[in-house]
Amino acid sequence: MARLVVDPVNRIEGHLRIEAQMDGGKISDAWSAGTMFRGIELILQGRDPREAWIWAQRICGVCTMVHALASVRAVENALDIEVPENARIVRDLIAGSQLVQDHVVHFYHLHALDWVDVTSALKADPAKTSSIAQSISNYEKSSASYFRGVQARVKGVVDSGQLSLFASGYWGHPAYQLPPEVNLLAVAHYLEALSWQKDFIRLHAALGGKNPHPQTFLVGGMTTSLDPNEPFAVINPDTITFLRDLVKQARKFVDQVYIPDVLAIAPLYKDWFSRGEGLGNFLSYGDYALGDPKDPNTFLFPRGVVLGRDLTKVLPVDAAKITEAVNHSWYEYSDGEANGKHPSKGETNPKYTGPKAPYDQLDVNGKYSWLKAPRYDGKPMEVGPLARMVVGYAAGQPEIKAAVNGLLKALNAPASVLFSTLGRIAARALETRIMAPHLETWVDQLDSNMAHGKVSIFNPIRWDPATWPKSAAGYGWHEAPRGSLGHWVEIEGRSIKNYQAVVPTTWNAGPRDASGQRGAYEASLLNTPVADPARPLEILRTIHSFDPCLACAVHVIDAGGREYTIPTRTNMGVPNAILVAH
Amino acid sequence: MTAVLGLGNLVHSDDGVGVHAIQQLQRDPRVPPATVLLDGGTQGLSLISHISGFSRLLVIDAVNAGEPPGTVLRFEGSALHGLPGKASVHQLGFADMMVALKLLGESPPELVVLGVQPLSTEWSMDLTPPVRDAIPALLDAVVRQLTIWNASPVEMNV
Repeated sequence: MARLVVDPVNRIEGHLRIEAQMDGGKISDAWSAGTMFRGIELILQGRDPREAWIWAQRICGVCTMVHALASVRAVENALDIEVPENARIVRDLIAGSQLVQDHVVHFYHLHALDWVDVTSALKADPAKTSSIAQSISNYEKSSASYFRGVQARVKGVVDSGQLSLFASGYWGHPAYQLPPEVNLLAVAHYLEALSWQKDFIRLHAALGGKNPHPQTFLVGGMTTSLDPNEPFAVINPDTITFLRDLVKQARKFVDQVYIPDVLAIAPLYKDWFSRGEGLGNFLSYGDYALGDPKDPNTFLFPRGVVLGRDLTKVLPVDAAKITEAVNHSWYEYSDGEANGKHPSKGETNPKYTGPKAPYDQLDVNGKYSWLKAPRYDGKPMEVGPLARMVVGYAAGQPEIKAAVNGLLKALNAPASVLFSTLGRIAARALETRIMAPHLETWVDQLDSNMAHGKVSIFNPIRWDPATWPKSAAGYGWHEAPRGSLGHWVEIEGRSIKNYQAVVPTTWNAGPRDASGQRGAYEASLLNTPVADPARPLEILRTIHSFDPCLACAVHVIDAGGREYTIPTRTNMGVPNAILVAH
Repeated sequence: MTAVLGLGNLVHSDDGVGVHAIQQLQRDPRVPPATVLLDGGTQGLSLISHISGFSRLLVIDAVNAGEPPGTVLRFEGSALHGLPGKASVHQLGFADMMVALKLLGESPPELVVLGVQPLSTEWSMDLTPPVRDAIPALLDAVVRQLTIWNASPVEMNV
């Protein structure tokens, strides 16, 4: 039995390590280890809660604003502040566009190369690719000469010997099953997506002042003033025109490129509708109010819990049932580790007991990760697009129900295929399609509010700390692209006494708990066949299907002690400062 | 249009030299007014939207070329291909960016890289003395390049 280790590049880059136990060509057990300490919680202690979001959003360089949003919501919850409708709309617009952009980037730039063989695309007949493209979408860039041009540009790069963006694939691996023509289609859209997303994300610069890490959040609202007659107001008629064009293009890209591509590629990998199932427990905090923002029943993504793949039952989310265990995490709790801690009482006391790097194997019987192990009612949960679609489908949310049923009909498959690696990929595409039209609606609402003189965007009621209670506590939730994100804050006097963030990738990539229950990544790898330990493409397919917010690489050691170090692509935008460790 | 792009991480000592340089250039009266100064930080591919459209690009970064710390190196044309792999600590993302521009069918800009040999890339907000002392020479080199470019119209360049 060989132990496969999927570890950061050359042991220096990246923050995630997967160890997989092989048995007869299949994974019999797996461990997921976060190999970097976060500690933003400690930095926040003692600071003014009104500035927490500025620091908190630096937790991540990819999702950027999601932590700002969760943070202002937590402080607003603690101080009992309601934000004006315009602030909610601008926040939803920023977050919803983040979700759409992030999912497209994930599919084409981070995940597609697990399924699409770039070198095979060079052998394609562009005329055939053209007819495939025209049969699945009315996207205008579909002529044979267009695909011939793409093929020539890619060939230029491959011939130069510098594969660069494409250097990270396991080209020629037998698990790549697409015909050359479909590979060419996907590579062309990889480039279209690259071009589209760089324009689209200007929405964040327009509404956030900058991207990444928008600067326009505020406890109580937003700083993006609306004024129809003021050319220097952040939101004026020119801004509306600019935003309207961007969100229209986004919807077009999703409907005409992303969705057709997913529907064209998925059926060619049918095996993956029954691999990577994972836990079968799903959690969604819910988000994007379509009605009363205080009533989760009006949310576009409903709030709820689904257990054991049972789509007939949605349990309500009880915030008190969330805990984090550290039995296998490099932390210690002041009163022992027998019980997990609720985030409002959470502690961040690092205690590294792992081996000194470089090392071959972690002691998975002891502590083995910098991630804690979040649990809901004692159970490990999967969060993210699949969780949102499963909870929404089971809850009967009409838009989600229609989208999922449409997908299942197109695939001619039962709902059980959702619980899989491809299910995650499909769910991500579906919720992007569900989100895109709402972006247009929100721009329209801003326009209408501005036209009717409804321009309030900041509620100053608790801006002055003199208006605060002596002590206060609250939490803020957001359904980020990668899943359920929660920030918990405790305020005493005028500063932060305690702060805890439980992030989506911690839910999914976290380690075992006191009773040995696996986390979502760990469970999802069980029984996955690995054809070639030197090129564990199958592991990457399932782990990438969760969209880990991590740079990964593969470091494999087989039973014979042979070592392979295979860098894989890194997440776009992840600060590559770690490279300085050379 | 010309841009100067400084790359690096300010909390990793000499790694941040490109960003330190940009901060100083923002106050340097010798920089031609039409020049766009970009603090690229540690962003990789996401810088595409910021450098797309420029005809000339001057990149400032820490480059490990095995020279004495503080040495300022200039790379252009074929010398850029001679940069050893990952010599610039942000080489991976930066090289990818140039390839991405090619793949997108945009003509990559005329490119000059000014590299500074780092002494340390450990945790620190400060540059080490040899790299700090090299800043005036680095800024002179930047201004020299911008002046040359400023004197020759973009259309003259291929």
